[in-house]
Amino acid sequence: MSAWATEFVPLRERVEALQMAYAYRLDDLDIDAWPDFFTKTGRYVVTTRENVQASRPIGIINCVNRGMMQDRVKAFHTANIFEPHLYNHILGPAEILERSADQCRARSNFQVVRIMEHGRMDLYAAGSYRDVISVEDTGLRFQERKVVLDSCSVDILMVIPL
Amino acid sequence: MGNEYIQNNRIWPEEGPARAPFWVFSDPNVYEQEQEKIFRGKAWHFLCLDVDVPNPGDCRTTTIGEVPVIVTRDENRSIHAMVNRCAHKGSLVCLKKSDNVAKLTCVYHAWTYNLAGDLESVAFRHGLHGQGGMPEGFDVRNYRLQELRVETFCSMIFGTFSEETPPIETYLGPAMMPFILRNLGRPLRVLGTHSQVIRNNWKLYAENLRDSYHATLLHTFYTTFKINRLDMSGGITLSDTGWHHISYARRARMQEDAEYSTAKVHSAQYDPSLAGPDLLRSWNEFEDGITQSIQTIFPTLCIQFTLNSLAIRFFAPRGIDETELHWVYLGYEQDTPEQTEMRVIQGNLTGAAGLVSLEDGCINEFVQRGTHRSPDVSSFLEMGGRQVASEPGSRATETAVRGFWQGYRKIMGFQKEIAA
Repeated sequence: MSAWATEFVPLRERVEALQMAYAYRLDDLDIDAWPDFFTKTGRYVVTTRENVQASRPIGIINCVNRGMMQDRVKAFHTANIFEPHLYNHILGPAEILERSADQCRARSNFQVVRIMEHGRMDLYAAGSYRDVISVEDTGLRFQERKVVLDSCSVDILMVIPL
Repeated sequence: MGNEYIQNNRIWPEEGPARAPFWVFSDPNVYEQEQEKIFRGKAWHFLCLDVDVPNPGDCRTTTIGEVPVIVTRDENRSIHAMVNRCAHKGSLVCLKKSDNVAKLTCVYHAWTYNLAGDLESVAFRHGLHGQGGMPEGFDVRNYRLQELRVETFCSMIFGTFSEETPPIETYLGPAMMPFILRNLGRPLRVLGTHSQVIRNNWKLYAENLRDSYHATLLHTFYTTFKINRLDMSGGITLSDTGWHHISYARRARMQEDAEYSTAKVHSAQYDPSLAGPDLLRSWNEFEDGITQSIQTIFPTLCIQFTLNSLAIRFFAPRGIDETELHWVYLGYEQDTPEQTEMRVIQGNLTGAAGLVSLEDGCINEFVQRGTHRSPDVSSFLEMGGRQVASEPGSRATETAVRGFWQGYRKIMGFQKEIAA
């Protein structure tokens, strides 16, 4: 029996619940929770549409396991210097592209407004999430979350994951 | 003219390149003069790599300062650069970042140029049904896209507006060329690109690149993760002019990890405090033992080699307090897949989200905001003394920053010091 069938909630709803929880924890700056949205061997990539189209492997962030994400969390707290800011993610609905017994692929769009400490707000990022999601005993997790930015340019810097 | 200007209202402090007066980052008149004297003046500007225009008909757009520029490779494989401005009404001719075309045709009135920028044809030149058309004596040979001088060094294509700019090899000088050759003297492969818009005057980033003093103070990633940096020896090499620099460091020979030694790869992990040690997997790429280097070429180019992460950074002003910083990550054609993978993972260290470098995205903005209403105050740049000279033994110096200001003052005409 497929792992998906253990609950009666439709697949898309469960995928979107994962995507929402991910975004809203980040918006609340609960960055410590971020790596736990991934499997242990999960991969997190931020790149640009331009790099994807040219099949170029270096984007902006490339964590090939959860440990690398934990290092980014630690760096966020103790090493990196930046002006305090918050994100506000606006998520679009998920398109389920493929599903197997214990994995599915989904794509969704997002926009992120960045709010600076002194009140300035900017549209910071727009793009799509290309997700590979695994079902584990404890729930859904990202096996891969590839963030494809529509713009080739980042405003100022990126320290909070998208 | 430069001296007139100084006497008008701006006087460089008498300490010379050991001070940067804050008006230099916020005075719109200074910014206008820079566009003329530096960006359209006697300096070479990085345009793109030759692998960005590999085939006949390839063209690419960029800017020198705020001037839009086209780079092309023609049918004979010669490289050309020209202002991206139609000779007719001044419209942009090329809109795409990269393209492959037979001709350059302005979309507005279909004036058409060959890949060298010569005007070949004009729509309705003879009018329609005997009416209209260009006047008698109109000759396409009198019109072209404004041409730039182009020279190439180690796969890098440079352009200049001035006939007086010395040849690129003279401009770079004997202290700079061998190290560029070391880093870029093999067929290159572009592994990725992105840009970062930073909210500061372009010269603050030019200073920041040359500022070896700040590196371990602002960028604390290495110390936070207990990655030993104290064993690194290094120094600063300046070009004869002081305009360009190399900052380099050697990591002490790392212990061979048995698991990797057969593949000539060793873990660069000094301490298990990295949860994802893959980040620093690296191999010794050069006999000279240099594992970290930043090389700047005046005014706006940098070649970076961090472990095995090779990148070109170049930046362009987008206004007095905004700068676009471009990152071009590179590998070599000859790299093995494993080497490419290590370069890719090490890409996390630099760039807009670089674990080591991301602070540079905001620190210069902090200076911009701190200084923009204090034109009469200056920075104090005396770490390592007041001289502009190479420092083979130490990177705890601002000598390369002073070198930048020495070059800047010369090209801008602020050379003449006026005693208080």
